[in-house]
Amino acid sequence: MAYEGLFKFLGLSEACGTNSGGLISLSSITPKESSAWDIPFPSLDTLNEACAAFPRTRDFTAGLEDGFLYIRPALRFVLDPLTQPLSWMLEFTLNSFTNIHWWIFVPILVLLCYLLSKSAKIASLVLVSFLFLLFVDYYVFAIETLSIIFVCTVICVLFGVPIGIWMSRSDRVQNAIIPILDMLQTLPTFVYLIPLIFLFNITEPKLYGLAIILYAIVPVIRLTNLGIRLVDKDIMEAVTAFGLTSQQKLWKVQVPLALPNIMAGVNQTIMMSLAMVVIASLVSAPGLGTLVLDGINNLRLGVGFLAGFGIVLIAVMLDRVSKAALAQIDKSQKS
Amino acid sequence: MYKIIGAGIIVAASTAGSAQACGEVSVGSMGWASGEAISAFVAFTLEQGYGCDVTLVPTDTVPAVTSLAENGKPDIIPEIWVNSATVYNGLEDEGKVISASKTFANGGEEGWWVSGALAEAHPELLTIEGVLANPELVGNRFNNCPVGWGCRIVNDALKVVFDLEGNGIEVFDHGSGANLAASIAAADESGEPWFGYYWGPTAVLGKYDLAKVSLGEVDPAQHAINQNADADPADFGPSDFPSARVVNAVTSELASTAPEVADFIGNMELPNSVVSSMLAWAEENGASADEAAAWLLTNHTDMVLSWMSDDAAEKIGSLLN
Repeated sequence: MAYEGLFKFLGLSEACGTNSGGLISLSSITPKESSAWDIPFPSLDTLNEACAAFPRTRDFTAGLEDGFLYIRPALRFVLDPLTQPLSWMLEFTLNSFTNIHWWIFVPILVLLCYLLSKSAKIASLVLVSFLFLLFVDYYVFAIETLSIIFVCTVICVLFGVPIGIWMSRSDRVQNAIIPILDMLQTLPTFVYLIPLIFLFNITEPKLYGLAIILYAIVPVIRLTNLGIRLVDKDIMEAVTAFGLTSQQKLWKVQVPLALPNIMAGVNQTIMMSLAMVVIASLVSAPGLGTLVLDGINNLRLGVGFLAGFGIVLIAVMLDRVSKAALAQIDKSQKS
Repeated sequence: MYKIIGAGIIVAASTAGSAQACGEVSVGSMGWASGEAISAFVAFTLEQGYGCDVTLVPTDTVPAVTSLAENGKPDIIPEIWVNSATVYNGLEDEGKVISASKTFANGGEEGWWVSGALAEAHPELLTIEGVLANPELVGNRFNNCPVGWGCRIVNDALKVVFDLEGNGIEVFDHGSGANLAASIAAADESGEPWFGYYWGPTAVLGKYDLAKVSLGEVDPAQHAINQNADADPADFGPSDFPSARVVNAVTSELASTAPEVADFIGNMELPNSVVSSMLAWAEENGASADEAAAWLLTNHTDMVLSWMSDDAAEKIGSLLN
């Protein structure tokens, strides 16, 4: 007991109380030779061994959990109605997209891609990809994944662009929000899946919808903020000299000039949503992710590979189309 | 100075000598509570009692058995649920691996369950006919196990046999085992009905009051057909789950190089009640796998020591005092 001596010296032994049976672990039974070199850091567990009044690390983590469970009803009361529209949108889109016959839906998609990108090459890429997916019986799964990505991207843009604009107007807001964005991007997705599972009903689509949105909204926020901040100061000066109001400046000058960056943000958001597809399937999202999970769980290399390839195809299609659409916007601005 | 070097050489030689008695052993550690606890117990016993150099490999059923098939490693895998890794039977027939012992004396328990409170209020829900006649009482949902589990194949067969969808019960495929367990916890907390598949021995079955739904007689032959992923759907039929075959496996290589270790694994059979109490205790106290294994050692010392060789039993016994 490394620090017992310290507490005895400080005369705190009575205040500490006796160690009322912490859990025995195998490591406590394992014979160890200890020397002065092996002195442990005064961590919570080590201090608890010496003085029972200290909480152990597991008490600390249990305390975090209890704290979360305490505020959970209040959180649920606020968040459930707010996120219900997400559930409705996901259910509606999934139902409608999967129920449209393939011979109607695929031509519509190809046509849409052509109109957005004005490129026959990209439209034919989309056509060939869908024909392939239809051929290997992965079409329904691909459409399910596409619907989820579609809804999540729309919501990410709907919320992300305004937040990005808000960040661009104030340095203080930016400094407050950037750590949150950092956390959302780097916190392992499983870690924020856990509170989501606690907060929402597992069978509701909004669980995986929220997981995807939280992860994928970050690029569009960051790049909107960046794009607007990067607008030339001289242009802003000139525009102020012309007497534009703040709102006019924003919508007529800043956002159009920042559009390339915003579109890059949307592109990245789509890519990151696709990256989340498999994790979303762990919380019962339908689509190609379930096939990947099947491949992983049953170690069926072929299934996992083909499903993964399907996800790549969707990613490439969406990437090319959004980039071409961006190029179109650029062209129309310059003309 | 030479004394120190000499002493060092002797220490090194003696430790090398004792490790050679057993050598390097890899033990697969299954990713769930009972699997991890049993693996921790095996690793501890082999290290302290048999002087092996043990590596614990965190793994899962299918990867572990595939690794056995491809590489002959890890040497020891406790708690293999054979119905989730049918490749295992082939390995056993080939002689690459030996099923040293049954992990649980009464095998693994599988079945369809409803929330206990619900069953008390509506006893007709204890049979599948009752459930099918009253789908609203069970919340119109069957909680299916995730893809990759052997039960998924059986449940997908049984859902057709009992026509769950036709009777107004939506089959919800959970994405992961954690999700399935969380659905039970959530239903218990909110007082909502729950109907679905679960397995034991687990802390979930111990902690939450669940009542088993009788699916009819246990027909081992029919169940084997239901369990077969390649079976003709026309051959599916009703059968309740028999006790699942869960084994502790040892590679035949290890059995020849370290027979006393193989003997120990061969004796290691846990009564289902002991496993359930261990898991319930671990859940209550937030214990790690390590601590659960220590609980097993300290609370069932006689049983545990009886599995070991005299030498090992002495060493472990002295550590526990």
